[in-house]
Amino acid sequence: MSWIRESELSLLQKIAANILKAGPMPKHVAFIMDGNRRFARKKNVERQEGHMQGFNKLAETLCWCQHLNIREVTVYAFSIENFKRAKAEVDGLMELAKQKFTRLLEERDNLEKHSVCIRVLGDLTMLPLDLQQLIAKAVFETRTHNKCFLNVCFAYTSRHEITNAVREMAWGVEQGLIKSSDVSEALLSKCLYSNNSPNPDLLIRTSGEVRLSDFLLWQTSHSCLVFQSVLWPEYSFWNLCEAILQYQFNYRSIQKARDLHREEQELQQLEADRACVAEVLQHHGNGKPADAQRRQEALLHYTACREERVQDFLEALKHKRDSFFTDLASQACCTSCVC
Amino acid sequence: MALLYGLLWRLLLVLVHLHRTLVSWLRLRLRSWKGRLWERAVAALLLPVALLGFPDHQKKLNQNRDSNPSPVTGNRAASRRSQWLSDGQALEKLPVHIGLLVAEEEPSYTDIANLVVWCMAVGISYVSVYDNYGIIRKNNSRLLEEIVRQQQDLLGVDGSKYNVEFLSNGNDKHQHHVLSCRPVVKVLSPEDGKQSIVQAAQQLCRSVENKERTFKDISVSMLDTLLRESKNIPDPELVVKFGPIDSTLGFLPWHIRLTEFISLPSHIDVSYEDMLGALQQYASCQQRLGK
Repeated sequence: MSWIRESELSLLQKIAANILKAGPMPKHVAFIMDGNRRFARKKNVERQEGHMQGFNKLAETLCWCQHLNIREVTVYAFSIENFKRAKAEVDGLMELAKQKFTRLLEERDNLEKHSVCIRVLGDLTMLPLDLQQLIAKAVFETRTHNKCFLNVCFAYTSRHEITNAVREMAWGVEQGLIKSSDVSEALLSKCLYSNNSPNPDLLIRTSGEVRLSDFLLWQTSHSCLVFQSVLWPEYSFWNLCEAILQYQFNYRSIQKARDLHREEQELQQLEADRACVAEVLQHHGNGKPADAQRRQEALLHYTACREERVQDFLEALKHKRDSFFTDLASQACCTSCVC
Repeated sequence: MALLYGLLWRLLLVLVHLHRTLVSWLRLRLRSWKGRLWERAVAALLLPVALLGFPDHQKKLNQNRDSNPSPVTGNRAASRRSQWLSDGQALEKLPVHIGLLVAEEEPSYTDIANLVVWCMAVGISYVSVYDNYGIIRKNNSRLLEEIVRQQQDLLGVDGSKYNVEFLSNGNDKHQHHVLSCRPVVKVLSPEDGKQSIVQAAQQLCRSVENKERTFKDISVSMLDTLLRESKNIPDPELVVKFGPIDSTLGFLPWHIRLTEFISLPSHIDVSYEDMLGALQQYASCQQRLGK
């Protein structure tokens, strides 16, 4: 089964889509595709078949999202916790992933036609090397596409992601690129695996579970959460519409909470800058109180310097991450040549 | 055409709104109807239990006489208390730590205090109260006052003595939860969320700056320890959200990894049965922890 489908909506679905589009639409939707195994049990088929059906449903959902003008989708494909499952199942899932990423690479033309950018978020080093290489290749080849974005969380948990971001910042401090006082909420967000995406507007979890299971904890703090009882392989266009409607119902109050949060974040940054400036002034002014104008100037100067430092650090980080993928992808080329 | 779609969309939204109000209204009606029946049944059923527990409470009441001068209210409170405790014990599992997320603009302190007292009465050890405006945090003392008052009203004992009594009442089933710790109430605001993660990150970066450790040392468990502030409070297993917004609104992002979210329409005039319903719903969920 392929990643990209080009099926049209039925007339009724088209009408529903148009009605929904009259309201505010989510730009980025995240899915926890839960219920593949329960589906397999229900239908009395192999687990692997359940996972397979789950993947097919993903392709279908991506198609619906395209019709609904949702340009970015993030999915939870494999959690670090999932490594605890029975070895046969983990191996099966890795095999499925290999198959699907190989398939993805075969569909290059289609990806290019729709300008689909694939990103994989997670600690890739936990995966078998050949899968790492395949993933790197897919990410590398689609990195310049900019119409649709599919983020696949693989070997991912949110706590790992946040910890990794802290580690990257500490790396920046160790390299002398930033100071520890430059660490802020905004900077941490930019060090996450998801730094290239806006926060999801809507998070959907299927199969009736009502928890986040370590998925995008940081990014969804002001997202609309929708828990639906349908099993993922049975997810339908109408389920998606229902979730979007719920998002629209929540839109204004969540927007308000977001604005409030943004204001607070800016205030905190300003306060942090002020504190740093006060320290600098006290250090240089031999304890003499500085007048308001000098303080203001010093503050502007400090802010500009900080922003420059952070910018340089983020570029270095981007370079580090890009070269991780390029190296892996080129390794993949070499091994395939040898074969 | 666009106009028509716009109109239809508005209609749809109105329908959703109607549906929601209808559901919460029906819930209320059903509850009051069921409540009356329930009350009688419970009264009949619990009479022997209350009588059994009576001598024990009587002794304590004598000790607490100054705080609780009327033995009549004391008895009623005692029977209610033992009912709540047995409700908690009847559940298959009970969260050790519960979060109460108020997603409404005007907090009602009496109702929140009621919720907190019920949570403690059924045997929950840690209760966190949160709203995304930080209003409750600002009026922290008002809530605490209210909690003490509700404790007296509902349970017929004052706060400090309640803890002791609470411990002695906890019998076999959930004892491991309550043996070592008194119930703790914490009021949280958005600052305890992402901002506390940022502070922990700053602390770690400072230690790297001072060459006390390298960036490679930083691990999930290290960050987790910092965010627990060395108090051994477990992550909340359950968050009950009050209000029409379907979002966590910044509630402790690090700590809600495995937290179950259950929604109730509003915290205003919320009843004990609503709260118990949420706890029952939680008790019937099972977690697979990635497996």
